[in-house]
Amino acid sequence: MNDLQDKHPDGGDQQSWFERPENVNRLIGGLLGVCVALVLADLFYSNPHPHFSIETSFGFQAWFGFVAFVVIVFLGRLLRVIVRRPEDYYDR
Amino acid sequence: MIANLPPGLLMIVGAALIPCLSRRAQSSAVLLLCLASFGLFLLLPEGENWRFTWLGVELTLVRIDTLSRIFGIVFHLAVILSSIYALHVRDTRQHTSALVYAGAAIGACCAKDLLTLFVYWELTAISSVFLVWASDSERSFRSGMRYLIIQVSSGVLLLSGAIVHLLQSGNVQFESFVVAGQPLSLAGMLILLAVGIKCAFPLLHNWLQDAYPEATPTGTVVLSAFTTKLAVYALIRGFSGYDLLVPIGCIMTLFPIVFAVIENDLRRVLAYSLNNQLGFMVVGVGIGTELAINGAVAHAFCHIIYKSLLFMSMGAVLYRVGTTKATELGGLHKSMPWTTIFCLIGAGAISGFPLLSGFVSKSMILTAAAEEHHFLVWIVLLIASAGVMEHSGIKIPFFAFFAHDSGKRVPEAPWNMLTAMAIAALFCIGLGVAYPLLYRMLPFEVDYHPFTVTHVVTQLQLLTFALLAFVALVKSGLYPDEVRSTNLDTDWFYRRLAPAVVNGLRMTYRTVNDTFRSDVITIVDGAMKQTKATFNDKGLFGGTWSTSVMTFLATVLLAVCLILYYL
Repeated sequence: MNDLQDKHPDGGDQQSWFERPENVNRLIGGLLGVCVALVLADLFYSNPHPHFSIETSFGFQAWFGFVAFVVIVFLGRLLRVIVRRPEDYYDR
Repeated sequence: MIANLPPGLLMIVGAALIPCLSRRAQSSAVLLLCLASFGLFLLLPEGENWRFTWLGVELTLVRIDTLSRIFGIVFHLAVILSSIYALHVRDTRQHTSALVYAGAAIGACCAKDLLTLFVYWELTAISSVFLVWASDSERSFRSGMRYLIIQVSSGVLLLSGAIVHLLQSGNVQFESFVVAGQPLSLAGMLILLAVGIKCAFPLLHNWLQDAYPEATPTGTVVLSAFTTKLAVYALIRGFSGYDLLVPIGCIMTLFPIVFAVIENDLRRVLAYSLNNQLGFMVVGVGIGTELAINGAVAHAFCHIIYKSLLFMSMGAVLYRVGTTKATELGGLHKSMPWTTIFCLIGAGAISGFPLLSGFVSKSMILTAAAEEHHFLVWIVLLIASAGVMEHSGIKIPFFAFFAHDSGKRVPEAPWNMLTAMAIAALFCIGLGVAYPLLYRMLPFEVDYHPFTVTHVVTQLQLLTFALLAFVALVKSGLYPDEVRSTNLDTDWFYRRLAPAVVNGLRMTYRTVNDTFRSDVITIVDGAMKQTKATFNDKGLFGGTWSTSVMTFLATVLLAVCLILYYL
């Protein structure tokens, strides 16, 4: 909790631990590390009850999660082209 | 006597007394009533009660079995949490309507016949709309009106279904409408449609995203728990194993996540997310195996709590900042650290991180789909899981509490809001860790173990790589910016198209009227005058003719006949 109250060294507006670029990079680095570790973990166990062959392929849910996420976001961008209206659309 | 009261009745009757109390005492009285009702509910034995005959129809007000028990319990938990959350509220309307609403939902899930269900069903609609109207704005009033019309229509369909069922089978007991190898009966179809409206089936869904974000900060928390989950209960009771529910549920899990990506109002994002979560449950009900039904029930249980938690955290933001629009938020973790932590726990639970509640419930539905070899369904649910991570796991906490600093410095949420969020967060963790307690309450015996190496690793892979994709998209600038906008949904049809069509017809009528009215009147007037002139006592037909003329005409007629005869 103390981190959250830290003053920015410049003495300006409060900048929290999460807002310092070096910490953001640290967090992203940590995430990358975890991702790599999780994919590598696939080498050390086997699925005892696979229902579909694709389940047992190496790192399936990893790349699937990544791709699904990207596709959803891009579908969102596409949808925005169609359905976006000004904020007061229904009030006019 | 009081111990055997129908569940929920204490809250409904007690709500009538709330306005008699002082404003300060009201919120505590609500909490006490909810706790008392919960205590009584736990003491109720299994079985049927309050049976009587009315107009020749046998009604049974109370049926307590494993299914109604678990829904009753989680409904009570939800209303207790929301009344702690609303302890600071000094608004008689909201307290009264929340109590009646929750009581009606609890009564509904314990009703054994369709007529009792109908009464409670409509009561939830009528009471809950006041939570929307309590925002006291033109916008919320209109939204509430639309909500009320749709909800009451659902009730009318339910009543029609009940009457048809009574005529077809001679009773109104609420049992399964699904008969293997046969299409649904007419009664079944009507009731499925009624339930489908409340369950926010695709194309019937938009009342949810329309009305919930317009309610008060505390009102939305109450709303999020009951109506839709009552519908899930009704689906399980009446339509378990109905195949069509599987594709319906799949569509429900998918389309809201795309809308959620571009929605700016974070409470509306949560409403889309709620719709997506209902999809998981509907798929479970459609698959209909023991594991799938258990999964649907468990997911409804966990979902009510983490969804309440998420709505509570956004309600706290709305209460302090005055808006939940992502464009105006950001950096709130500095001023609302506890709310941030609780929101993150809710976000983790809905995304299904191990040791949190979503992990032990959602996976039951996925496994059930896999065990039935529904490959496509399983893939859709995986995509939807990544989608949940997107809108609820990342978007909600990121844009409200982190992202770019909005510069807003507000006090932390009031103590009672924090307490309610803390309890909900504890439940999210508790259900994720002590899941056997949840499994024991499910309708069927559970032979499912969520914490296998495969499940933990694959689930974490899905979630962390989704997170990685988010980081990559944000860093590369491909993630869509939050913009102030209204996104069209099916409400466009009745808010824009239908009025436009009616207006068009009115304009056409007016044009025709303006152009031709005088001409038509002249013609009709002329014809009238002519007719009058012809038929009055001096006219050709109306006047009396002299005898000699008549004799002459008759002679001519006879002569013509004679000539014709000889020709």
